[in-house]
Amino acid sequence: MSDSQNNTSDCGSMLALLLLRVWLGVRAVLTGIEKFADSRVLQVPLLDAQGKPDSSGAMVEVTQKFYSLHSYHAIPDSMKERFSQEPLLPVFLTTPYYAVLGWALIALGIAVLLGLWTRASLFLMGLLYVSLTVGLILIKQDGGISWLAIHVALIAIALSLTKHNRFALTRT
Amino acid sequence: MSSREPATDAGGLGRRRFLKTATAASLSLALAPLRSAYGQAAAGGGDTINVALVGIGAQGRVLMDAMLKIPGVRFVAVCDIWPYARTYGQRYLKKNGFEVRAYESHREMLDSEKDLQAVIVACPDFWHAPITNDCLRSGHHVYCEKMMSNTIEGARSMVRTMRETGKLLQIGHQRRSNPRYLVARNRLLGEAHLLGRITAANGQWNRAVSADLGWPNHTAMTSEQLAKYGYADMHQFRNWRWFKKYGGGPLSDLGAHQIDIFNWFFDTSPSTVIGSGGRDYYTGHEWLDNAMVIYEFKLADGMARAFYQVQTTTSAGGGYFEQFMGTEGTLRMSENPKYTQIYREAAAPSWDAWISRHLIAAQKAPPKSDDDTAADDKVDARETAELAAYYLPVILSKAIHQPHLENFFNAVRGKGTLNCPADEAFKSEMSVFKAIEAVETRSLVTCQPSDFIA
Repeated sequence: MSDSQNNTSDCGSMLALLLLRVWLGVRAVLTGIEKFADSRVLQVPLLDAQGKPDSSGAMVEVTQKFYSLHSYHAIPDSMKERFSQEPLLPVFLTTPYYAVLGWALIALGIAVLLGLWTRASLFLMGLLYVSLTVGLILIKQDGGISWLAIHVALIAIALSLTKHNRFALTRT
Repeated sequence: MSSREPATDAGGLGRRRFLKTATAASLSLALAPLRSAYGQAAAGGGDTINVALVGIGAQGRVLMDAMLKIPGVRFVAVCDIWPYARTYGQRYLKKNGFEVRAYESHREMLDSEKDLQAVIVACPDFWHAPITNDCLRSGHHVYCEKMMSNTIEGARSMVRTMRETGKLLQIGHQRRSNPRYLVARNRLLGEAHLLGRITAANGQWNRAVSADLGWPNHTAMTSEQLAKYGYADMHQFRNWRWFKKYGGGPLSDLGAHQIDIFNWFFDTSPSTVIGSGGRDYYTGHEWLDNAMVIYEFKLADGMARAFYQVQTTTSAGGGYFEQFMGTEGTLRMSENPKYTQIYREAAAPSWDAWISRHLIAAQKAPPKSDDDTAADDKVDARETAELAAYYLPVILSKAIHQPHLENFFNAVRGKGTLNCPADEAFKSEMSVFKAIEAVETRSLVTCQPSDFIA
């Protein structure tokens, strides 16, 4: 293989890893942020075609999404309820896990995006998805397990390409 | 309540009151073609309105509760022929901060109450016209429950007295002031033409079997007392809605509200009506306990037929609603938001613009079934695709009668016009009378435009 062919291959691998880092980072950061999301129903005046309040004085309910620390929920309540009935998921494990899940996703996502200890960050992110998989296996959510398996596979590919890591704050 | 017939002359009035009435009558007759002439009182009145409530039965109590939430309404008197109800009203209002005088007879009340400005009439239907006419002639504005009367003549006399006196007469078709209905009619149908051409409508009010109303033994009125006010006995007094002498039966009690919505939303009166019904379950009643009628409405863009049914022996069929079906969508309205729904035909233009303006809102999708075949549950190839469902995001955070009462009191203050003046309500009342005639004669009843003008 000539030098030019090697350079082309390295460039492709570098771009492949960059693409994976961006995807996995964005995926993790936004998933973490969404755990701080909630919605509220506001009552606002219905407006007419001219933008003035409707002559009937009608009020409409409008659902508005917002984010706050107070709104934090690691997983949906229905899923939490199901996990609480699993003997292999004791409260002393799940409570701290729920508390850090959202923050961990955000932190690892930012680290992967910025290339901060890329190898370690990717590996920890993979472990996080594996831990999520454990819960889904116990409650027999095969669809979710498949989704997470795709994430882990992408992380594994990214890890195999780390020698081509560029645009990163740290070397490894 | 001393007079059974509407007064026809000014013989009982003082000179000053007669001149005042005559002046008002002349003025109102001069403005007769203008509907708005009857919809707004002269401006300049104070914000506090002295009010009397006549009739403290179930409906009167609903109105009383709604009025207690309206600023500027001062109860000064209650009137009911039944001492038990009268005392209840007096005590209830005292608990809510109003020391009111109580009367058995509305005539006595009108003679005694000098600072009265408005009267709320919620007694049995056959007393509506005599009491309303007396109140109007005494110089008071009136809010009268529907039906206006159990007779066409009675309803017509109320419109005429309103015109003669120039006083306000709002009829209690409260949906006409409900912002949910106003937006549905004026914005969804009027502005957005969301339904395309409306070809059909249907409405219903079905409710389960119920026992006749009773009364505590010690509260019964004597035969003489009952006869004085036109009642045969205590049972008929308590269950007047079921007897022809006093009311119009279920088509009138329940149907009037919804048939009014047909007329109001179509903005016209029916051209024909055919019907069937009967007294098939309640052996102790006079009025029919079920009815099904079909109206024809000649709209600007073609004929629309409206089916209405009232059942008093079953609550099946999805509660109470009025549904308008068009080529592009269907609107199902009800005072109860849980029965309200809007459906879009698959081939209709996009409704996204109306969603962004909050006129309608997309229904949250139901959870998907694990069974993939559930999504395609057609059993016949000729079935139309399932319609997309939307809801009306407009809310009413008050009692359902409150906006209509507020509209009345604002009109009394000179700050707005009535949403349902008697001449407008008369059209709907006549539509109900025509339906009753169709059911009773088992025939097609043809309506002339002149029928709906009082």
